[in-house]
Amino acid sequence: MVMGEEAFSAVVSAHHDEIFRYLRRAIGPAGDAEDLSQETFLRAYRAYATLPKDANVRAWLFSIATNLAKNYFRAETRRRRAYGEVQGGARSAAITTQEAELLSREAGGLVEGIVQRLPFKQRLAFTQRKIHGLDYGVIGKNLGCSAESARAHVFQALRKIRQGLDGYGLLPGEPAQ
Amino acid sequence: MSNKPAVCVRIADDLLATGIGEASPSAAERVGRHVAMCGSCRRELEGYRALEGAVTTMRAVSPPNEQEAQARQRLETRLTDLRQRLLAYRIFPSPLGHILIARSELGISLVEYLDRGTSLKASRLASEPGVETAEGGPDLEATYRDLMEYLNGRRQRLDWPLDLRLARSDFQRSVLQATVAIPYGAVVSYVGLAHDIGKATATRAVAQALRWNPLPIAIPCHRVIGASGALTGYAGSKLGLKQRLLTIEGVPTTKEGDGPAIRAQAMYVLYPGDREYCIPTCPSLDTRTPAPVTRFGSRRHAEAVGLAPCTTCRPDLHPISR
Repeated sequence: MVMGEEAFSAVVSAHHDEIFRYLRRAIGPAGDAEDLSQETFLRAYRAYATLPKDANVRAWLFSIATNLAKNYFRAETRRRRAYGEVQGGARSAAITTQEAELLSREAGGLVEGIVQRLPFKQRLAFTQRKIHGLDYGVIGKNLGCSAESARAHVFQALRKIRQGLDGYGLLPGEPAQ
Repeated sequence: MSNKPAVCVRIADDLLATGIGEASPSAAERVGRHVAMCGSCRRELEGYRALEGAVTTMRAVSPPNEQEAQARQRLETRLTDLRQRLLAYRIFPSPLGHILIARSELGISLVEYLDRGTSLKASRLASEPGVETAEGGPDLEATYRDLMEYLNGRRQRLDWPLDLRLARSDFQRSVLQATVAIPYGAVVSYVGLAHDIGKATATRAVAQALRWNPLPIAIPCHRVIGASGALTGYAGSKLGLKQRLLTIEGVPTTKEGDGPAIRAQAMYVLYPGDREYCIPTCPSLDTRTPAPVTRFGSRRHAEAVGLAPCTTCRPDLHPISR
């Protein structure tokens, strides 16, 4: 085995689809998740030989992917500013009725829509924790903050999602619209 | 949220943690007691539980997804391309100065004495077209250890898979391949090597090809010398190193005269194509057409490659005394 290729093929088989799905949520449907996912694995391949044998490969891939997503988001924000697109308004967690109709009527679909409107860090923290089940410590490292802050981001995201679902009659105990 | 009673605000985090199943037992119990009395918090808790259910459906991986499979396929293609171009390297401080060792998926590609610095910038890899570099792993340390053992005379073979793609031409590759075949403890001349590859007049080109040997030591260009016996050149201007490598292999050298040279009279001789080795004064050699010979520093190394002592001059009975 030269340079651990066989081992790296196993890494791709085991983690590609998950990283791809993570990036799709992280950068939203308008972004090129495949491009970032490829870049994640090409970078990982270059650095794979120097990765300590006992490293958590999955957490490591998430950190590379998160960095790429952050860079993408920064570039995207700059681009929007340059073109004078409105940025703040779309960040609100609430969704309009029309948008809700475009989304699936079931809660999962609605949640997907609201997740796309979360502030970037909350979106990443929510996705890493609730979809991919990463530890708060790992999420903190990926986001450049403490485990406590990572948890706070996830909780903020959950509050916004719950509030965003208010009024759709999808959560029990709430009056239907 | 700010209109909530203080007690509800205080318990808000625990309530959320309970809703998503992350609360400690004591916190969950506190929350349980609170929602038994507080209707709005109870609804909130149920909301988080329901949200958890929605998240579970998001988490569930949909059946084999065409888009993901195609993306993985395209990634594999790019990885294959990268794999072919990628050289993993490490730089080691050694008694000979900094040495860079690089390997590809096919084998060791480069052993380079870094003269102009201690980083990748000082290496020919920095300007090699079509090559991508990455820092290598612990496997290169083992390669470096082999090399040091060789330089300390504790190892006679470097059984590395070699990748000759950094050679500059097919001609250079053929010279390098012929050089690999020169046995340990033996020397041939540039003329002899040119004969070996069937380009008898290309002596200078052969010397140039060895000057850019990407794999010194592993491809033993130090065993190729001038027809006069002078060591001639090595890795730019490392004649001292060439002499040292030959000494390690038991080849007698001298520093007298114009520069370091082998002591041909103190070495055994193999005429091209023969299976027997001679002392340099063997009468049988006088009767033959002059041709570039291979010289061995010792009988041991000649016999290690399957040669027998000549039955005329009997080097086994009359070994060269030094």
